[in-house]
Amino acid sequence: MQAATALRGRKAASGQAAGQRRWLGHLLVVPTAVWTLAFFVIPLALITVFSFGTENLVTFNVGFGWTASNYAAFGSDLYLSTLLRSLALSLGTTAACALLGFPLAFFISRQRPRAQRVLLAAVIVPFWTSFLVRTYSWVNLLQTDGPVDRLAFGITGHHLQILYSPASIAIGMTYSYLPLMVLPIYVALERISPDLYAAAADLGARPWRQFRRVVLPLARPGLIAGIIIVGVPATGEYVIPEILGGGKTLMIGNIIVGQYLDVGDYPFGSALAVSLMVILMAMLFALRRVQPAVEPR
Amino acid sequence: MLRRGAALALAVPPAAALLEACSSSSSSFSGTGSQAGSLAGTAHMENYPDWMGTHVVPAFQQLHPGSFIKQTTNSSSSISGTVQQLKTGNFDFGLADVSATQQAVDIGLVQPPDWTKIPNIKYVGQSFRAAYPHGIPTDYGKIGIGYRPDLVGEKITSWHDVWRLAPKFSGKIVFIDLDRDCMGSTLKYLGFSGNSTVPSQLTACKNALIKIKPHLQAFLGVNYGQGLQDGSTVIAMDYDYDVALNQQKQPKIEWVYPSEGMVAYIEGWIAMKSSKVLPLVQSFMNFALEPKQYADFVNTTGTAYVEPAATPYIEKSISGSTILRPGKTIVNVEFEHFLGSATALWTQVWDEVKAA
Repeated sequence: MQAATALRGRKAASGQAAGQRRWLGHLLVVPTAVWTLAFFVIPLALITVFSFGTENLVTFNVGFGWTASNYAAFGSDLYLSTLLRSLALSLGTTAACALLGFPLAFFISRQRPRAQRVLLAAVIVPFWTSFLVRTYSWVNLLQTDGPVDRLAFGITGHHLQILYSPASIAIGMTYSYLPLMVLPIYVALERISPDLYAAAADLGARPWRQFRRVVLPLARPGLIAGIIIVGVPATGEYVIPEILGGGKTLMIGNIIVGQYLDVGDYPFGSALAVSLMVILMAMLFALRRVQPAVEPR
Repeated sequence: MLRRGAALALAVPPAAALLEACSSSSSSFSGTGSQAGSLAGTAHMENYPDWMGTHVVPAFQQLHPGSFIKQTTNSSSSISGTVQQLKTGNFDFGLADVSATQQAVDIGLVQPPDWTKIPNIKYVGQSFRAAYPHGIPTDYGKIGIGYRPDLVGEKITSWHDVWRLAPKFSGKIVFIDLDRDCMGSTLKYLGFSGNSTVPSQLTACKNALIKIKPHLQAFLGVNYGQGLQDGSTVIAMDYDYDVALNQQKQPKIEWVYPSEGMVAYIEGWIAMKSSKVLPLVQSFMNFALEPKQYADFVNTTGTAYVEPAATPYIEKSISGSTILRPGKTIVNVEFEHFLGSATALWTQVWDEVKAA
C-alpha cells in the first residue's frame, strides 16, 4: 500500500516536472512571439488600418473615415501597368536566377565536401559587401566605355548602350538575388544520395534522363523555396531600378516609397503596400498548392 | 527624391549619417561678432549630412561653453520628409527649403524670427531675404543647363534648344530625377510658372517630358553632370553647384541661363515654436551668418551663396564662379514654393512620366 502510494507520488512529481518543462518550453516562444507581435503583426495591422484612411497633405493629419478610395485609385492604368511591369521583371529575374542558379548549385553539390565549402563561401562572399556598393559597381561595369561595353565593342564593333535600361535592371537584380536561389537548391541537391544516380545509371538512364527523372523531382522543393525567396522581394524591389534604371523604369516599389517619403500620403502608400502584399500572398498560396504534389515520396 | 544631401550621404561613411558636431575646435574660426554669455543647453538641428561649415559648430561651442549644437540627418530630404521630421518636436531648428518651410508655417510649427536677436541677417542679400522670410536663408540652387559646346557643335541658350537637339544627341542627355526641379524646368520651357498647379499646364508638362524621355540617358538622382566630364553626356539639366564642380575638372563644360528662365530652390534654417532653447538657436543662427563663419559653410559645401559680404573669405574657385556668385544672375529665376494639396497632382504626373 505504502509502495503504491509512493509510486503514485513519484508519478505525480514526475508529471509535475514534465508539466513544468512544457511550461518552460512554451516560455521559450515568448521572446519570438513578442518580437513578431510588436514588429510584424501590429505594424501590419496599422498599415491595413491606415490604408482605409485619408490624409490632409498639408497638415499630415490622417482621418479614418474607412474609405476604400485608396484601393479604387490602385485600379488606375498607371498603377496597374506599373504592377504588371514589376511582376514581369520579377518573373524574369526569378527565371534567370533559376536557370543560372540550378546548374551552379548542382555543380557545387557534386564536389568533394571541402570544395563545396569553398564554392559556397564564394557564393556568399558578395553579401559581405554593402548592397548599395554592389549595385553601384554595376553602373561602372555597364556604362559606356565600361568593361562590358568595351568587350561588346571589341566583338561587334558597336557600343552596347545597356546602362539605364530595363536590361540593366534585370542584370542587377539577377546578380543580387542569385545567391538566394543557389542556396536552397543546393540544400535540396546535396541531400540526394549518390546511390540514386548509380541506381538510375544501372537501370540504363542516361545523364539527361537521370536529371529529368531523379534530380529535378528531388530538387523541386529547393527550387520552389528559391522561387519564393527571390520572387517576393524582387516584386517590391525599388533600389536597383532606381540606380540601374536611370529613373526611367517605374516599379511598384518606387511608387510606394514615393507615397511614403515624397508625398507623405501614408494612407495611399499603405493601400498600395497592402494590395501588393495580398497579390504576393495569393501567388504564394498558389505555389503552396503546387508543392505537395511534387514533394518527393 | 533627394537633392544634394543624398549625394553627400553617399560620399560619407554610414556612421557619419548621424552627425554629432561637438568635437574638435579651432581658434582661428572663433566668432567675433556674437555676444558671449551663458547659453548652456543643447539645440537639436535637423540637417543634411555635412551641410555645415567644418569649423562653425566647434567655434560656436568654444565661444559659449556649455552650449551644444547636435545635428541629426533626416533619412529623406523630400519636402514631406523634412516637415514630418520637424513635426515630431524633436528639433529646435532645422534646414528646410521654401516649400517645406511654408508647409511648416501653415501647420504652425515655425517660430517667426526675431531679427533683433539675429542682426547678422543684414549680410544676406535682400532678394534672398524676401524669398525666405521665415528663417535665415543659407543657400540656393538654380536649375539650368550644363553642356559641352565642343561636342554639341552649337551654342545652347534655351530649354527649347535642349528639346530641339534631343533627337540628335539621343542617349547623351540627362535630366534631374526630382519632380519639383525637372517638371519646374519643363514648365519654364513651356512658358508657364515653375510652380504651376493648373492641370492643363501640368498635362502639357507631362507630354513634353514623355516626348523627350526616349532620348534621355537617365533621370539622375546623384552625379547629374559627371558624364559631361568624359563626354558620355553632352547636355545635362543640372544644378549650378554641380556644373561649377564639374567645370573645375573639365573646363570645356559651359553653364547656360536658359532664356525662358529657370527655377531655383532656396534653403535656410527655421526655428521651431516648440524649442525650449530659442535664445541658443537664435544666437547660433546669428553666429553662422557672420561673414567668416558663413564663408566656412560655403567653402565646405561648395554651394551657391546668399551673403555677398562673405565673398572676401570664400575660396576663389567659388567666389570667382559666375555660376555661383549671387548677383544679376537670379533676376530670371523663379523660386520654388509650397504647392499645397497640388503636391499629389505633381507626384501623379511625375509617376506618369516615369511609367511612360
